[in-house]
Amino acid sequence: MTGAGMNRISLLGTSPRNGTMLLGVMIVMVALPYLLGQSWLSITTEMLILALSASALNIMLGYTGMVSFGPAGMYAVGAYTTGVLMEKMGWGMLPATLAAPVMAGLVGALVGWFCVRRSAVYFALLTLAFSQIIWTVVFQWYSVTGGDDGLVSVPVPDFFFEITNCYYFMLAVVSVCLFIIWKIVNSPFGMTLQAIRENPNRVEFIGVNVKRYQLASFVISSVFLGIAGSMFCVFSGSAFPDYAYWVKSADMLVICLLGGIYNFFGPLVGTVVYTVLTKVISGYTMHWHLVLGGIIVLIILAMRKGVVGTLANYWANRKSAAA
Amino acid sequence: MTFESFAGQALAGVSLGMVWFLIAAGLSIIFGTLKVLNLAHGSLYMLGSFCCYQVTVSLAGVPGNFWLAVLVAPLVVALVGGIIEVFLLRPIYKAEMIYQYILTFALVLIIAEACKMIWGTGYHSVKVPWPFQGSVAMFGLSFPIYNLFLIAMGPLVFIALRTLINKTNLGRNIRAVTENREMANALGTNVPQVYTGVFMLGAWLAGLAGSLWPPVSVVMLGSDMAVVIDCFIIVVIGGLGSLAGAFVGALILGLTTAFGLYLIPKLAVAFGFILMIIILIIRPYGLMGEPE
Amino acid sequence: MLLEAKGISKAFGGLSAVSEVDLTIGKEELVSIIGPNGAGKSTLFNLITGHIRPDRGTVLYKGEDITGRKPYDISRMGVGRSFQKLNIFPRLTTFQNVQASLFSAKKINCNIFADSCRMLGDEVEEILQSVGLGGQSATLGGLLAHGDQKRLEIGIALALDPELLLLDEPTQGMSPGETVETTELIRGLVRARHISLAFVEHDMSVVFGISDRINVLHQGMLIFSGKPDEVKANEEVQRIYLGKGEK
Repeated sequence: MTGAGMNRISLLGTSPRNGTMLLGVMIVMVALPYLLGQSWLSITTEMLILALSASALNIMLGYTGMVSFGPAGMYAVGAYTTGVLMEKMGWGMLPATLAAPVMAGLVGALVGWFCVRRSAVYFALLTLAFSQIIWTVVFQWYSVTGGDDGLVSVPVPDFFFEITNCYYFMLAVVSVCLFIIWKIVNSPFGMTLQAIRENPNRVEFIGVNVKRYQLASFVISSVFLGIAGSMFCVFSGSAFPDYAYWVKSADMLVICLLGGIYNFFGPLVGTVVYTVLTKVISGYTMHWHLVLGGIIVLIILAMRKGVVGTLANYWANRKSAAA
Repeated sequence: MTFESFAGQALAGVSLGMVWFLIAAGLSIIFGTLKVLNLAHGSLYMLGSFCCYQVTVSLAGVPGNFWLAVLVAPLVVALVGGIIEVFLLRPIYKAEMIYQYILTFALVLIIAEACKMIWGTGYHSVKVPWPFQGSVAMFGLSFPIYNLFLIAMGPLVFIALRTLINKTNLGRNIRAVTENREMANALGTNVPQVYTGVFMLGAWLAGLAGSLWPPVSVVMLGSDMAVVIDCFIIVVIGGLGSLAGAFVGALILGLTTAFGLYLIPKLAVAFGFILMIIILIIRPYGLMGEPE
Repeated sequence: MLLEAKGISKAFGGLSAVSEVDLTIGKEELVSIIGPNGAGKSTLFNLITGHIRPDRGTVLYKGEDITGRKPYDISRMGVGRSFQKLNIFPRLTTFQNVQASLFSAKKINCNIFADSCRMLGDEVEEILQSVGLGGQSATLGGLLAHGDQKRLEIGIALALDPELLLLDEPTQGMSPGETVETTELIRGLVRARHISLAFVEHDMSVVFGISDRINVLHQGMLIFSGKPDEVKANEEVQRIYLGKGEK
C-alpha cells in the first residue's frame, strides 16, 4: 500500500495553531450577521444545519467505514418528530426538539440492528430500503404527517422569525453538537471505530465486538441526524417527505466526499463548497443539475480525497519535501 | 375478490413485471460482472423512452415507425452506456463502492437534465402499434393485446439472454470474467472489452424496456426515479447477478404491487422494501444468487 | 497444558481441510506447525481462534472449552494472534495501531470523553520499542516497509498481554537477515514475557532454530509431532516434506 493511494488522516489534535484558527473562525461566525445580508444569512443558517447532517453521516462513513445510503431517513424522523409534536399535538418547541434525537436514536437502534447484520453493499442496500420505508410511511400517513402536502405551519415561536435570532440559535446548537462529535471521534471509542474501518477482521481479534460498535456508531449518527432534521424543521417551519427521499441521502454523501471523509473538517468544508457551488451555478443557468453532476464526476475522477484530503496531502508532501 | 378482478390484477402485475425484468436484468448482469451498482440505470430506461418517442415523432406517418423506434432507441442507449463505461467507470473500478455509487448518481442528474433540455417537461405519449392494438376478451375481462405482447417479451428476452450467456463465445467470456477476473485476464480474455460489452448490453436492455413501455403509459421526466429503486428491490430479491433471479424477482414484485395496490393501496409501496429487507436478512444473496 | 485441541476437523463443501488434528501447547512452550501449502495450517489456527467453527473436536484453553467461541471472546482470554495476510490498520499511525489494541486490552474502548491523542503513550512506546519500531511511531502503518509491518502485527498482538501467541508465518516475505533478526526478537519477547508460542512457518532455519516441538501437517492431518531431532529423523516426514525427491 503506497502513500499515493491513501488518504492522509490529519491528526488535528490540540495544537496551538489549530486552536487560534478555530477561534478565528468562531469570531467570524459570530460577526456574520453584521457582514451579510438577510438572504445570505439565511443560506448560512441552512449550511450550518447541513454541515451537522454531513458530520453526523461521517461518523458512520468516514470514521467507521460504513457506507449508508439512507441518512435522510433519520434526518426526516427528527424533522417530523418535532414538526408533528408541535403542529399536531401542540407541544412546545423545547420538548419537541428534545424529542427528535430521542426518536431518531430509537429508530436508528431498530434499523441499525437489522442493518449491521450484513456488511458492505448489502448493508448499504438495507439502509436504503429502511429509509425508503420511512419515506413511504411519511408519504402515506396523511393524518399525522400531512402526506405529500407535508407539514407547512409548524408553530415555531416568533423569536425565530428574525433571521439573526435564528442564525445565532442554530450556530449555538450546531457548535455544541459538533463539539460533542469531535470529542467522540477523538476518544478511545472513536479510535476503536477507526480501527474497525481499517480492518474489521483484525479488530475482532483484539477483543472488540465489531457489530456492537457498528450499531453504536449507527445510533450516534442517527441521533445527530435527528437533531439536524429537527433544526431544519424549526428553521423552515415545515417538513416534507422528500427530507427522507434517497436523493437527499445522495446529496449528503456527495457533500462528505466533496470535502473528504477521512477528516473531521471534511464534511464542513464540503457543505460550504456544495452550497456555494449550487447557489452560484443556479444563478448562472437553469440547468444547474447538469453542471453539478459534471462537477461531481470531475471530483470523483480527479480529486477523490475531497478538498480537505487533497489539501492535507499537499501540505504533508510539502513538509516532507522541505525536510 | 372476484375471479375476474383477480385475473385482471394478475395480468397487470405480470406485464408490469416483465418490463421491470428487462431493466432489472440489465442491472443484475452489470452488478454481477462489473460489481457496480448502477444508480443511473433508471435514467438509461428513461432515455430509451424519450428516444423511442423521438423516433416515432420524427418518422410520423411512416408505417412501422414504432418498431423502428424499438430497434433504434436501445442502440442509442447502448452507445451512451458504452461511452459512460469507457470514460467514466473504467477509471474507478478499483475505487470503493461509494465512489461508483456517487458517480452513477451524478449521471442520474446529468441524464435527467439533458432529457429536460431536449424534450422539455411535458408528458409525451406513444401510440399502441400495429399489430397489437385493441383488446381481447380473457376471463370475462377485456385485456389489451399489447400487454399480452409485453408478457410474451419477458420470457423471450430471458431465453435469448440465457442462450447468449451459455452458448456463445461472448457469453463464455462474460461468465469467465464474472467468476474470476484475474484468471480470465491471465488466460487472454480482453477483460476491459468484456466489461464494456456487458455494460452496453445492460444499457441496451434498459433502452429496450424504455421503448416497449410507453404505449401503455406516458413518457415523462421522473420515470428514472420511479423505476430505479424498484429495480434495486428486484435484483436484491432475485440475487445480484442472477438472470433467473431477476425474472423471478420481477414477477414477485409485479404481482405484489398489483395486488397490493388493489388490497391495501396505502402500504402497497412499502411491500417491495419489506420484501427486500426480509431477503437481505435471511438470504442476503437473494433467492437465486450465490455468495462470491 | 495451556492449549489442548483434540480431534479438530473441518470440511469445506466435501473437501476435508483439517482432519482429526490434536495439538497441545504447554506453558512457555515454543511450538511450530509446518507442512506443505494447503496442508491446513492457517485453517487450524482459524479453528482454534474462533474465526471458523470446527465440525468436530474440542479446543480447551486453560482447561476451559473455547470451541467455536467468538474471536473477540477468545482474544480477551489471553490469546493473541497474527495473520498470514497482512493485518494491520493501514491508515492509522504505528502508534495508533498499537494504541487501539491497548485500549481494548485495558477495556477503555467505550470511553467517549477522553482525548485519545497521547493516551497510554508510555506503554505504546514500550511495545513499539520491544518490536523494533521505536522511531517510527508517527509513520502511517500502510507506509511501513513489509518487515516492519510484520513486526507491527506482533506489536498489536502483544498489546493484549497474551499468555498464548499464535503467529501465522511471521517472517513471510523477509530477507534472510531480517528473518534472523525477527526470529531472535520473537524468541526474546516470548521468553521475557513468559508467553507460549505457536507459529506456522515455511522457513526451516526458523523452525529448527527455536522450536521446542514441531508439528507436521499434511493434507489436513497431523502426521508427526515431536522434538526437532525426532522430526528430522522421521522417515515419513522426510518423504513428504523435508527430503522430497533426490535434488
